[in-house]
Amino acid sequence: MSTIKEYLTANHGHCDELFANMEDAVANSIESAKEAYEEFAKDTERHFQMEERVMFLEFEQKTGMTQGPTAMMRHEHAQMRNLIAEMGAAIEAKDKDKFFGKSETLMILMQQHNMKEEQMLYTMAQQHLSAESDRIVEMMQSMIVE
Amino acid sequence: MDFDGLSVDQAPPISAPVRFFLTAPLFAVLAGVLILFSDASVLSSRFSTESIVITHAITIGFLSFVMFGALVQMLPVLAGVRVSRVGLVSKISYIFMLFGTLFMIFGLWLNISKLILAAALFLGVGFLALIIPMLLAFKNVVNVTASIRAMITALVFAFLITLIGMHLLASYGIGKFSASHLLFANIHSVWAIFGFAGILIIGVAFHVLPMFYVAPRFKQFCKKRVVWLIVSGLLLWLVLNIFMESYATAAKIWIALFFWAFSTTVYLKLNARRRKVSDVTVWYWRSAAVFMTLGTFAWSINDFFDERYIVIVAILIGGGFIFSIMSGMLYKIVPFLVWFHLNAKGYMSIPTMNDMINKKLAIIQYILFLISLIGFIISFFISALLPLFALTFMASMLILEYNVIGPVLIYMKIIKTKPDFDMSMFTMKVEN
Repeated sequence: MSTIKEYLTANHGHCDELFANMEDAVANSIESAKEAYEEFAKDTERHFQMEERVMFLEFEQKTGMTQGPTAMMRHEHAQMRNLIAEMGAAIEAKDKDKFFGKSETLMILMQQHNMKEEQMLYTMAQQHLSAESDRIVEMMQSMIVE
Repeated sequence: MDFDGLSVDQAPPISAPVRFFLTAPLFAVLAGVLILFSDASVLSSRFSTESIVITHAITIGFLSFVMFGALVQMLPVLAGVRVSRVGLVSKISYIFMLFGTLFMIFGLWLNISKLILAAALFLGVGFLALIIPMLLAFKNVVNVTASIRAMITALVFAFLITLIGMHLLASYGIGKFSASHLLFANIHSVWAIFGFAGILIIGVAFHVLPMFYVAPRFKQFCKKRVVWLIVSGLLLWLVLNIFMESYATAAKIWIALFFWAFSTTVYLKLNARRRKVSDVTVWYWRSAAVFMTLGTFAWSINDFFDERYIVIVAILIGGGFIFSIMSGMLYKIVPFLVWFHLNAKGYMSIPTMNDMINKKLAIIQYILFLISLIGFIISFFISALLPLFALTFMASMLILEYNVIGPVLIYMKIIKTKPDFDMSMFTMKVEN
């Protein structure tokens, strides 16, 4: 089974793919892009929750750091959720310019965020939680999105 | 474990990178003015004072300013390390680099030896004030990736070329040149272009292309080996240059080969990118790859023509490759920083990145830049055309300045209003 770091890093790549699909769909025709948008929004939300409800909790419990890096990552998740919602609204309003303005911002924010997680948080999580790595990955895989 | 890179209040203040970014195009405009008032035949020699001044208005004034601004901003994100007192350090470095570059330009141009000596000192302080703290910050890295190794390597080269550069400039100041002046000048320029800027770009590209354009990742072989292959080429070139100059071409071809391979890889990865949306930054990357391919080729064969075409090589690599990538990066990083810092301060209704920079104006800027580059090469053969392309270059750089200052003005306007949310609860100091 993949480690926490491998699993979540691969999941970032998966969300990036869906992001590219969504932009492609909007570029082709914003009227029929809703499905691609929803697929991206759904899987990205799932990624956030896998972290917030499983991995971050385990990490916080193990290290005792609840106000540290995970708090900042949660804050950035909130920023991204806002942008994703605004992109949905732009699709509803069929406003391509607004959509791409938001998606460009989201892309950079998301990649900055991913770099920080992959570079630091996942590495740390893997070190602290290596003994429970399989269990945590399994919990993330079987988690039901709220 | 130092988690400081993960918190907003530990990210460098927006002024730290932005003051470098806003100054850079102005130095490029100044370079354009100097080209306009230069004799084309003088500029075709790399060792004429005019050539040295204009080259450094570009390489220090534009390229180094952008690279340092970007490093200050990206170190916490890419490497998870924080330069201690980054706000203060970058301000000191900026002031010394600003005056150092101006002193160098006017000292050499007007032949004022005291100003040249001051320039050597100021530039030394300016560069080292940032390079040394950045290198020290890397000792806290937990997870050493290929990108980080490349950044460290690039900064070590930056450190060495700064020392050599100070020595070279001081020689002009006192008017005495050592027997190995030309050798030092060669090492300084080759290591600056390939060791500092080249390796830094390669290291950052490993991250930036797959992430921002959803392009295929670089192969492990490429990530693990290419920097060392280039470094070994640069060291071999040094040894050959000192002891067996006639064989130095072999090392040049070795270095050129890997940069050519890198350029081709960049081009292919952009073709295979999943994110099809195209903007001016993609075009800058593409033209950088093309110019670098031509540049490495021209550099390798230049020796067989008694180095007659070194100015063309400099335009292709310095202008076509490094300058292009730096310009493209400004278009992404400046509007994002404005959005990021406003959002972190609790402002919710911020113009989107696309609202901050006029896309059409960005494309016009890009086209003018391309015309200028090609024009400079044509002017090498038809010198009467040089003033025309000096003007297109200046126009391009003025538009670039306008394009990057726009988002900053938006920031300054919004920051005067009251935020939508009080974000003070998020700006806690993260424990170590």
